[in-house]
This record gives sequence, structure tokens and C-alpha cells, in this order.
Amino acid sequence: MIEVKGLTRTFAARRGLLGRGSVHALRGIDVTIPDHGAVSVIGESGCGKTTLGRILCGLESFDGGDVIIDGESLSALKPKDRAPFHRKIQMIHQDPYSALNPTRTIGQILADPLSLRGRQLDADRKWLEARRAELLGLVGLDPDYVLPRYPHMLSGGMRQRVVIARALTVDPDVLVADEAVSMIDVSLRLGILQLLRDLRDRVGVSVLFITHDVATARYVGDNSDLYVLYRGTVIEHGPADTVIQRPAHPYTQCLLSAIPVLRGIELPGPDRVVPNGPLDERQEPPGCLFEPRCPFAEADCRAGAPALALRGDATQLHACLHPALRSVVAVPASRS
Amino acid sequence: MTVALAPEQLETGLRRSRQRTARRWVLFVNTPSRAISAFIVVLFGLMAIFGPYLYPANLPINANDIYASPSLAHPLGTDFEGVDTLALIVTGARYVIFSAVIACAITVVLGTVGGLVAGYYPRWAGSAIMRVTDFVLALPGFPVLLVLATVWNFGSLWQMALALGVFGWGGIARAVRSQTLSLRERPFVEAARGLGIPGWRIITTEVMPNVAPFIGMNLLTGITAFIYSEVGLFFLGAVPFTGSNWGVMLNNAVFQANAVTSTRALAYLLSPLICIMLITLALVTLMNAVDEFFNPRLRRIK
Amino acid sequence: MTNSTAVSITDLGVSFPTSSGPAHAVAGVSLDLPRGQITGLVGESGSGKSTLALSLLNAVPAPGSVTSGSVEIDGVGDVLTLKGSALRKTRGAKIGYVFQASQNSLNPLKPVGKQLLDLGRSHGVRDRRDLLHRARLLVEEMGLDAERVLASYQHELSGGMRQRVGIVFALVLNAHVLILDEPTTALDMLSQASVLEIVQKVHSERGLTTLIISHDVGVIGDIADRMAVMYAGRIVEEGPTPSVLASPWHPYTRALLTAMPRITGDVSAAKQLPGRPPDLSSIPRAGCVFAPRCALAEDACTETEPENTFLADHRFACFVTARETAKETTA
Repeated sequence: MIEVKGLTRTFAARRGLLGRGSVHALRGIDVTIPDHGAVSVIGESGCGKTTLGRILCGLESFDGGDVIIDGESLSALKPKDRAPFHRKIQMIHQDPYSALNPTRTIGQILADPLSLRGRQLDADRKWLEARRAELLGLVGLDPDYVLPRYPHMLSGGMRQRVVIARALTVDPDVLVADEAVSMIDVSLRLGILQLLRDLRDRVGVSVLFITHDVATARYVGDNSDLYVLYRGTVIEHGPADTVIQRPAHPYTQCLLSAIPVLRGIELPGPDRVVPNGPLDERQEPPGCLFEPRCPFAEADCRAGAPALALRGDATQLHACLHPALRSVVAVPASRS
Repeated sequence: MTVALAPEQLETGLRRSRQRTARRWVLFVNTPSRAISAFIVVLFGLMAIFGPYLYPANLPINANDIYASPSLAHPLGTDFEGVDTLALIVTGARYVIFSAVIACAITVVLGTVGGLVAGYYPRWAGSAIMRVTDFVLALPGFPVLLVLATVWNFGSLWQMALALGVFGWGGIARAVRSQTLSLRERPFVEAARGLGIPGWRIITTEVMPNVAPFIGMNLLTGITAFIYSEVGLFFLGAVPFTGSNWGVMLNNAVFQANAVTSTRALAYLLSPLICIMLITLALVTLMNAVDEFFNPRLRRIK
Repeated sequence: MTNSTAVSITDLGVSFPTSSGPAHAVAGVSLDLPRGQITGLVGESGSGKSTLALSLLNAVPAPGSVTSGSVEIDGVGDVLTLKGSALRKTRGAKIGYVFQASQNSLNPLKPVGKQLLDLGRSHGVRDRRDLLHRARLLVEEMGLDAERVLASYQHELSGGMRQRVGIVFALVLNAHVLILDEPTTALDMLSQASVLEIVQKVHSERGLTTLIISHDVGVIGDIADRMAVMYAGRIVEEGPTPSVLASPWHPYTRALLTAMPRITGDVSAAKQLPGRPPDLSSIPRAGCVFAPRCALAEDACTETEPENTFLADHRFACFVTARETAKETTA
């Protein structure tokens, strides 16, 4: 189990020529990834979801809070001692082509981490080749076809499967899929999503699914745990179906309202909402971060940042003082 | 999706994949200009290796026949001592080409290692190596060699190669470092780090193959640059003459034979010049081929 | 070409030379863009949709070339026969083309306003103040601060803003045909929604004829009046959007809609499409291009390419489905 507690990450950024400002990528968030679980994180670009994934994989450091991996608190360890724990969390990157070395064959790409593992287990070449073939089979690829090829000879879907197989070579606990299907052809996306879902049962790995496309989050797990991030804070958290069908926070409602509606087979949700204006990263509102853009903001929303809690009729946690459950997402059109 | 290959197809595929490596060398001869360039490079290479064996150690002097015009006996004429110019060209190739190649090898090794380490470990190794590189880079190449020549007579082949190499690796180091810095942020390198692969292994298996085309091209331009440098040094008389080479020939042609102002020893002046030009053109033409050679998209299975 | 059609593509073919002979990125494509409507073109990678879009400007990059067909645009004639200055004048003034925001099609070294003036200059626009004024109005319509945007460089604008600037460029010379190539790829949901809203607003206010090309069925399904589905260089199905989505006829369209992740519908009902979209070298040279992946494929499907079957204003190209629907109508 992975627990993220109060995780904070701030970047120093230059604001034009006039000096430095800070970008608060994460403002003390809490996330729990249970064993064999599926957790989805949605939000716009810049909300911190990618930063969260990178911190978990050890690709970035964090400034505050803690990451607890299997009971071990990372903040108590020196950065150089954290590597073995971060290794239990592997990243599946958005672009499968740049995630593979273009000058090496798939066989070589998989052999590298496996030979390390083999040395740990005191195993020989035969073990490596068998394990490699086994992993490729797990992700639905034919070893004889794929092993001698270079990445550019495979389709996007196949490359992503190779990336997943490579991630599995170190027997990780969690796969972080950061926009893992957004650069793959639509007809191939389902395969990857179902693979991630199936791996949870077959290999016992959890999936942290980061995306801006909410629809894909439905496919990585049965009613997975959904977190909605806005400007580095969790503003809603609950079972995916609940959050999608009855969102409480106005921002979640705006996000879901923005999903295109398939004319002819879907009807737009009755209560759709749009935000008042675009995101201004330079603005640091005194109270609720979404208040400047919120169509339902009231006076007390400026007083202080709302805590994540249960209010009113909502059965999921949310960070809004005046939540109202609205039905914003498309509904299937009935067949006449 | 799974695509199964029958065992015989797999056999053929593997055999063909061994052939593909041979097929990539075709890149160096697949257009007329490349074929000619490759021929020139091979010709001069052979000349450099075998040239001195084709002639006696001391070339025959003929005082009666100095600055002769091209004839059947002396296709390129003779020099100030009546020595056959063609013989001089053929035996002089070794010095010029070998020292340039060795110098190039030195710069490539020093520059690549320095650049890779500085680029991959920017915090601890980076600044130290880059200070040294900046120093080497700040030295204005050719003038430095001239100054150096006043205190060290690096006239022999190995000394020349060493002098050129040690002062010439800054450019490659800096460029390899910047490539490494950017490759370091690429997802496949990050993935290798996340998988626990040690740094030195990442540098050799992930970073270097992607920097290889650049190094290959630098190798070729390096050779031409060093040929120019050393010929220039000899031409200016900055280093002692130990035996004959093309630079020495140029020096003699201009300062002894006054070839620039009279037509007397035209062949003697032009021969080394044309050879240098041919080699330079040939190497530059092949640079595109080097880039394509390392392009992974050209590796085919079937 | 009738009065109700603004752009008529007839039997268009574009091919690229490969080591094993010419490969047809676009083959036998016929499509009418009705005046005043938004037509959407859906296709995955390798479908040829980008090549088709470029051929509407007669801008297919070498070594590709148009091998057959015509692109008739109302008021211009066949674009494919135009060359030189006549072609340049058409691009921009008659046809507006909007590139993907992620393709940095704006000059990184010049502010937006200056590039607009360049555009005007190259089209011989005399009254440049009027041009800037129109541009300012357009930018404001997009919901952006005109002064700030016109003074900005390309890297100072977000993806959504760049996309909108692209639309301004395409419309500032009062073109009546607008082509948008992947207008919302690389934008997140909220930016995508606002860009689509703007496209719709601008389209209806100016009575444009719009073609949107996208791999995202959702985008097309939301905003397009008519929808065409492209696969391996051919249009396999085309018709009014609600009709194509509610009752798709072609096996590819059906499979695509079943395999597409959606916000509604039963998650367990989704099924993968076997195989993968073909690239130039793997397009079947005989028979239906979808046959290798089609569950309904028969022997006839690998021999000849299917013709179009028309059902009202909805057409598709499939032997098996044509047979089934014929049976239904005669039964």
C-alpha cells in the first residue's frame, strides 16, 4: 500500500523580467493507493497530477509531507536511500515512442533490467529469456515477433505494451499510468486499459491512472477510486461512478460538462456548467482556489480554503462550502 | 495483438537481420558522389598505409632534373632536388593522414568521455570538467599551436597527433555534453534510472548510441580540420621537418620554388593542394552517410 | 456541383512512392461539404485524413503527389489545377486552414500582430488598419485580450490561445471555407470545450462551410452536422452525425464505436478491435482495406473493393452489410 500524506511541491518560476514567483504544483495532498487497487486522478494540465506521479516514481523530489511505501516513510530516508522504494513504483509514460531507446531492439530493452534482476536472484541466461517471454505474453505480445524489432517497427499500442512489460521486470507494486493512452490510436486504447485492469488480478500490481480524459478512467477498474485535482489540491474524492454521475464540487461539474456529447446516442446532461473565465496561474485567491472562476461562488468562499469533507447530500468527500449535486455528464439517448 | 511466425520464418528473419548490418554499409556508396568519395578515402587510406613501402627510404635525387614539368617518367614533375613529386605525394600521405586520424581519435575519446560524464552528472562532475573544457575551448586553436611550437618541437607524427589532440577536444566535449544533458531528460533514460540500472551502464547503453551519429560526423570533420592545421603548421615553418609530407611540400613549393609567382613548379605546388582538397571533399560528402548509418529507422528485419 | 455544396471532392487520389511501388495515402475519395454546415472527418493514424486535408490546399508535400480527382471550391474552381500566385491567393483568402496548436505554425521570432500584417501584405491587402481592426474583433470574439495577444510571441501563449490565434489567422481574410486539422489535440477538456464553442459560434455567425478533421470521435460527434469515417485512405462511411453514430453500417465504424472509451454506456460491453491500423506499406492492394481486421470478411472482400451503398443521405462501402440491408428492405 502506498500512502501520500500532505505532499507539497513548489517550483520557483520566473515571472517575466520582474523577478521570481512560485508555482505551487502540490499543496499538501493526501492519496491512498491500496494493494491491487485502481486509483484515478483527473484534472486539467497544471493541476499537479503529473507531478504527483513523478514524485512517486522518484523522478522528482518533494518539499513537504510524506510518501509511505509499504510502511516505510520516505521523508525519514536520505534521498539516495529512497531509490529501492521508488523502484516499486514504475511509470508508464504518455509517449511510448520516447519511452523506448530507439537504437536498441525490444529484446535488448527488456534484457537490461532483467539481467540486473537475474544477478540478484543468481539466475542464468535461460531464466532471463524465459522470464522475458513470459512478460511479453502477459502483456499480449508474441515474443518471436517483437524481440528482434526496433521500437519504430511497432505500433503505438504495441510499444506501450512493451513499456508495461519493462515496468513489470522489477516486480513493482504500482504502475503509474500518466496519460498512458492519450497518444495511442482510439481503436487500440481499450486494449491497454483492459490490460492495466487485468494485470491487477494476474500480477497483483496496483494502478494509479492519471488522465485528463475522464472516460478512460472508467475502464481501469470497477468503480475505481477517483481523485479530482485542482491547482495542487484534491477538491473531490470518491468512487468513480459517484463522482461522475453526481459530482459535488463546481469544478468537477465544469470538467464533466466539458466532455463532448455524441449526438444521436447521447444527450447533454441537464445541469451543465462552465467556469467564469480561464485559469490564471498568477492569481492566489485568499480562500477557495476555484472561487474566481466559480459560477456559484458566495461571500464566504473567499474567507478560507474549504476542507475536504462530507457535506449535504454528497456521499463523496469534496472541498466546497456550498456543494450542490448536479447532473452534468451526458446521458444515453433512449432508442425510439 | 499477437502475430505468430513459423519457425522457418524466424530462421530467415534472423539470417536477414545479420545481413542488414552489411546492408547499412551500402549507404557509403549508394550515390555517385558517395561512391567516388568512398573510393578517394580508400585510395588515400591505402596510400597512407602502404605508400612508404612502395619507394626506397631515401628517394633518389637528381640534380639535373629539378622542377621538371610533368612527363611520363615523372607524372607530377619533380621538386627542388629532382625528387619525383608523385613519390613525395605517396610517401607523404602517411604522416598527414595518420597524424590527423590519431589526433581525431584522441579528441573523440577525451571529448566523448568528458562530455558524457559532464552531461550525465551535471552537478558533481559537470562544472569541473567543463572548466577544463572551457579553458581548452577558449584557446584559439591554431595560434595556440603556433605558440606551443616555439617551446615544443612536435615535428614527429606522434607528437603532432598528441599536440593537435590535446588542444582540440573542447568542441566535442561541449557538444556531447549538451546532447547528453537533453537525452538525460528523455523518458527512456528516466525509465532506466527508475529501473535501477546503474549510471555507467545507462551512459554506455542508453546515451551513447544516441550520441553516436554526432560523434561519427565529428570524426570526419575532425580529420579534415586537423589536416588543415598540420599542413598549415608546416607551411608556416612552425615545426621542424622530419621527413617529407604534404605540408613540407607546400612550404618548399612556395618559399623555395616561388611557385606562387612563377609557373616553374606548378605541379609541385598543386599536387599536395589537390590531394588535400580531394580528401576534404570526400570526407564531407560522406558525412550525410554517417548520419544515415546511425539512424535506427534504417535497420530492417525483412 | 450544386448550389448547396461549397466544396466538392471527387475521386481524389494521392500516392507516395515507396520501395515496393506507389502507396495510396488517399484513394477514390469523394466527399461533398454542404454549404453552411460543419462536416467532420474521423480517422486514426494512417487513415490519410491529414493528406486529404492538405490536398484541399493543393499542398501535399513531396514526394507525394495527387494522382487523380478534383477539389472544386465554390468561387475558385478546381484547386488542384491552380499554381503559383493563383494558388497562393486562394489559400487564406478563400480557404482558411487552421493547424494543430501543437504544430508551432506561428513564427517564433515575430509577435502575432506583425505576422498578421505579413499575411495581409502577401495577399495585397491595402488597408492594413482595417485588417488589424478585423483581427482585433476576431480575437475579442475568441474571448482573448486583443492588445495582449497581438503583442505576444508564440511561446507566451498557452496551447488553447495558440489554437484560437490560428483560427483568427484563418478567418481574417474573410475566407468562406474553414478547415481545422486536429483543432483540439493536446488541449485539455476545458480548453477543448471553449475552442469548439468558438468554432461553432464563428461558423454560424459567418455562414462558413467548415471541415473538422480529428481522430477524436467525441469532438466530431459533438459539433459536426455530417460525419465521414476514413480508413486506410478511403471513406468507408458518411452521413448525418446522429445517423452514423446511432446506426453505423460499416464494420469499422461499428467496431470503432464499440472499442472507444466513453463516459456513458456499459464498460463491460466494450470490445477491442483486433490488429492495428495499417500504414502506407501495409494497406491491402486488393479488396476491401478493412478486410484483414473485419469479423464479417468473406472471400469477395479480399478480391474487389466495395462500392458505396446509399441509404437516404447515409452511405457506406461494404459488401456484406449491403447485402444484409438489401434483404431487410426487400423482406
